[in-house]
Amino acid sequence: MTENTSQQDPKTQVETARKAFEEEFEDFVRLGDYAEVLKLPLVEALLKRKEFEEFCRRYTGKKGTIASLKKLIGQSGPDKRAILGSQVQQLEKWISDRTNQVHYSLSAYIQQSQLERDRIDVTLPGRRPRRGHIHPITRLRERVEDIFVSLGYAIEDDREIETDFYNFDALNIPANHPARASQDTFYTTEGFALRSQTSTVQIHAMQRRGAPLRMIAPGRVFRRDTPDPTHNPMFFQVEGLCVDRGITMAHLKGTVAEFLRRMFGAQTVTRFRPSYFPFTEPSAEFDFSCFKCGGRGCRICKQSGWIELGGSGMVHPNVLRIAGVDPEIYSGFAFGLGIDRMCALMYGLDDIRLLFENDVRFLEQFD
Amino acid sequence: MLISYNWLRELTGTKLTPLELRERLTMVGLAIDSVDEKDGDSLLDVEVPSNRPDCLSHVGIAREVAVIEKSKVQSPNSKVAKTEGKASDFAAVEIEDTELCPRYAARVVRGVKLGPSPDWLEKRLDEIGQRPINNVADITNYVLHELGQPLHAFDLKKLAEQRIIVRRAKTGEKLTTLDGVERKLDPEMLVIADAARPVALAGIMGGLDSEISLSTVDVLIESAYFDPDSIRRTARKLGMDTEASKRFERGADCENVVNAQTRCVDLIGEIAGGLATEDAIDVYPRPQPVRSVTFRPERVESLTSLRVDAAEMDRILSALGFVSAAAAKDKAKTFVVPSWRVDVGLEEDLVEEIARHVGYERIGSELPPAAMAGEYQPAEIKRRSLRRALTALGFDEAINVSFIDAAHDEVFALAAVPQLSKHSSLVSLNNPIIEDATRMRPSLLPGLLQSLRHNFNQGTKDVRLFEMGRVFVGSEGNELPHESESLGLIASGGASEQDRAQATRELDFYDLKGALEAAIAAVNLPALVFTGAEVKHLRAGQAANISLADGTVIGSVGALSETISAGYKFRQRVYVAELNLTPLFEIAEHEIKYEPLPRYPSVVRDVTLLVGRNVGFTELVAGIESEEIDDYRGVKLVGTYEGQNIPGDKRSVTLRVEYRSDQRTLRDEEVEGRHRRLLDSLLKKFNAELH
Repeated sequence: MTENTSQQDPKTQVETARKAFEEEFEDFVRLGDYAEVLKLPLVEALLKRKEFEEFCRRYTGKKGTIASLKKLIGQSGPDKRAILGSQVQQLEKWISDRTNQVHYSLSAYIQQSQLERDRIDVTLPGRRPRRGHIHPITRLRERVEDIFVSLGYAIEDDREIETDFYNFDALNIPANHPARASQDTFYTTEGFALRSQTSTVQIHAMQRRGAPLRMIAPGRVFRRDTPDPTHNPMFFQVEGLCVDRGITMAHLKGTVAEFLRRMFGAQTVTRFRPSYFPFTEPSAEFDFSCFKCGGRGCRICKQSGWIELGGSGMVHPNVLRIAGVDPEIYSGFAFGLGIDRMCALMYGLDDIRLLFENDVRFLEQFD
Repeated sequence: MLISYNWLRELTGTKLTPLELRERLTMVGLAIDSVDEKDGDSLLDVEVPSNRPDCLSHVGIAREVAVIEKSKVQSPNSKVAKTEGKASDFAAVEIEDTELCPRYAARVVRGVKLGPSPDWLEKRLDEIGQRPINNVADITNYVLHELGQPLHAFDLKKLAEQRIIVRRAKTGEKLTTLDGVERKLDPEMLVIADAARPVALAGIMGGLDSEISLSTVDVLIESAYFDPDSIRRTARKLGMDTEASKRFERGADCENVVNAQTRCVDLIGEIAGGLATEDAIDVYPRPQPVRSVTFRPERVESLTSLRVDAAEMDRILSALGFVSAAAAKDKAKTFVVPSWRVDVGLEEDLVEEIARHVGYERIGSELPPAAMAGEYQPAEIKRRSLRRALTALGFDEAINVSFIDAAHDEVFALAAVPQLSKHSSLVSLNNPIIEDATRMRPSLLPGLLQSLRHNFNQGTKDVRLFEMGRVFVGSEGNELPHESESLGLIASGGASEQDRAQATRELDFYDLKGALEAAIAAVNLPALVFTGAEVKHLRAGQAANISLADGTVIGSVGALSETISAGYKFRQRVYVAELNLTPLFEIAEHEIKYEPLPRYPSVVRDVTLLVGRNVGFTELVAGIESEEIDDYRGVKLVGTYEGQNIPGDKRSVTLRVEYRSDQRTLRDEEVEGRHRRLLDSLLKKFNAELH
């Protein structure tokens, strides 16, 4: 078309171009209306855009009508140059004004449709392999260990099958004590005992490390209980021991109370009351304020407001002596509590046999 | 033990309410489980510690209440109103075994009228859970709960020759006790016999034949002290636990024998009538020693931090019945222990007496001054890393009991037990509690298999579990068994994803192997070596031994054998592994050392070889490395293929070999030449073809 019009005078050429554009633009003009564009399927819109871009290029592209008109400006005489220049400029602006709207609505529609097509359900589960779970007893045990390490205690463990000496004699448990009976303690056919408390570890540790000493011994212990909702013949216990000059029951109370606050929360109140254990004198049981009702009385604490948790006391002089520590120089406190029991309380287990069934549906809950 | 509040008030005049008493008694060491209202009375259920048999009676509890309230126990005044004749005129007592029976007192009441007890007595017994029987029996029972001394009433006429002989039973002797059960006796057991036969199981239960009945006219009241161990042994052996045995086996009060008997005879006279003898036949061949304790008052503060006045200490101790002996020159005092306090023998015991009555709640609460640094067990960090690595791989942590069924013996290869030798035996329990669970586990696998079966039965089919715990084998001679720490793994089903219904694929051997490798990498230990092996409990051809770099075998991994699998009725493939952690934890962690990043790019070449199925990947790698090709940097597996278009005895293996120089960028033709050389030798070495 440019070839044909090259012979005309520039002004006419501008006018011809304008008319030609107007004529051709008829096909696209309705697309300037977004509501019209919306009626198109995406495929057709893409096609239209391609057509339209081609059409525009013919007028405004590098080799398009406007470009060739601009060349004429230079060729025309100085008197007409300004007029022609402004005419071409006007035409260019006029074209771009008219096409912009179509460009905009087509592109906006296409972009929108593509986003729509790629829209995903962000609420579908993320892609992650199923994670396993640490056993609740291990979780608690690790927590207990962390607390006591931060309080300056060493973690110790030792044999699970023991001699009577470590399981009983060294703990000042008299020869006729019922705990020694095969009714309560497991024995191997060789006559060794499955340790019935981790206090055995305290004796080994005192013998090995001497005084002063601060340690806890978490571990497996065995008692001949028939399995039922509140008993297992095997369970986990943690026992603590602090031996030094000048250790008193106040230190015992302070330590156990601090531990229980860290374990069960800052509001936890601990109560000590006299009790009896062969390996401590004086002895004390400790209760903590019921975490469920805060001490007002509920089903968990049997209306008393207190939950029994463990035993403790000042290490019996016989035990210190057997372990090679002079009770005239050193004193110490010891305490013990059941990790399984703590676990049952903390997570509200109604049957502790679940702990050793390893049902995945149970283990999964400790996430 | 049930304590009647009204009864306690008669003995102490207590001004405390039942609920206040609950609190106060709990805080002196007599925990009260519950307080129940009943017919105008309150019943306190007292949990008496096993070392305090002196508290197994109303007077015993009253003594503690009196110390709490700074009052006095109003002991029942016993004075028998009507008496006639000497006890020895009507009966005779002889103790054959004075070890087991240091004291025996008998008193006779003639002409009693047996019948029901008066209401107040029946009610009182009924309240504390004792069934009323007849007036004389009820009175003995009443005095037991009042004073703590078990008593027994014999029908005097039914005792052959009216003689009491305290002796050991003879082999083959039998006795039908009051509960109607015929008991077989042995010489370990102490009995009360008459001239002809045993008539009571000493300190535990009377005999049926000599029982008092409505036709009884004359009674012999027994009050005695028996050796606690003997009573406990006999009661255990016969499976009996009576009000009497409970007290005798913990230790009764030897000096209360006659007093309690007098109280009983007095009540009989009052309630059932009759004429008591003037005295009792009190045979006391072995007087119990008077015990005393040296006490330094300052020990109270040094053990408890409590500061207590000397006067308050004295008050508490004397109120509890301790008698201060002549004051010594220095500060230490000596206290005579009351006969009923069988638990006291040391200074520390007295410290506890003072502390509990001053109140544990008055002891301060403070942390001991910091003195040392905390430390974990040497391998703890490794254990934790292992657990975290395995849970990240989808394994749940299991804990199984340490004893297993003996049926698992010989089924599992115990590669994870290092001390296993020809002489070692399994460790067995003498007294298992779970039927058949008699072996201390030498392997974690039986427990894990049981857990797996449990999960299958619950409908969970995708299961991955691991366990860390001790395994046991016996030692030679009389040594303690060996204990070592083991890691067990089990996997079956699909590799499931969180919150998705379907597993992406089935787990296989390489999942378990990979889990082990990842776990070992997580604890920063040198890689394990896996070697194809025949392992008893594993499927042939899918089993490997696991060893350390030095060749020590520490475990195995593989598919569970068909036989074992069938035994468990498993319907899907199961993979198991077990590893001995003890030697692993002893290996030094490998040091981390920085290597400069490569300055020139590497070039990789993929090669697919067709090799015999018996050629292992590690062999191929070793073959490649042994060529020592210049600028060779490593080889990785791309994949393997067997099946269509591959001969049955072959496998196609695609490897990616990396070349890189530290001096310059390698030119294509250089790499080509090296790679060519490598291929040529591989083809020859492994009789392989390019594929």
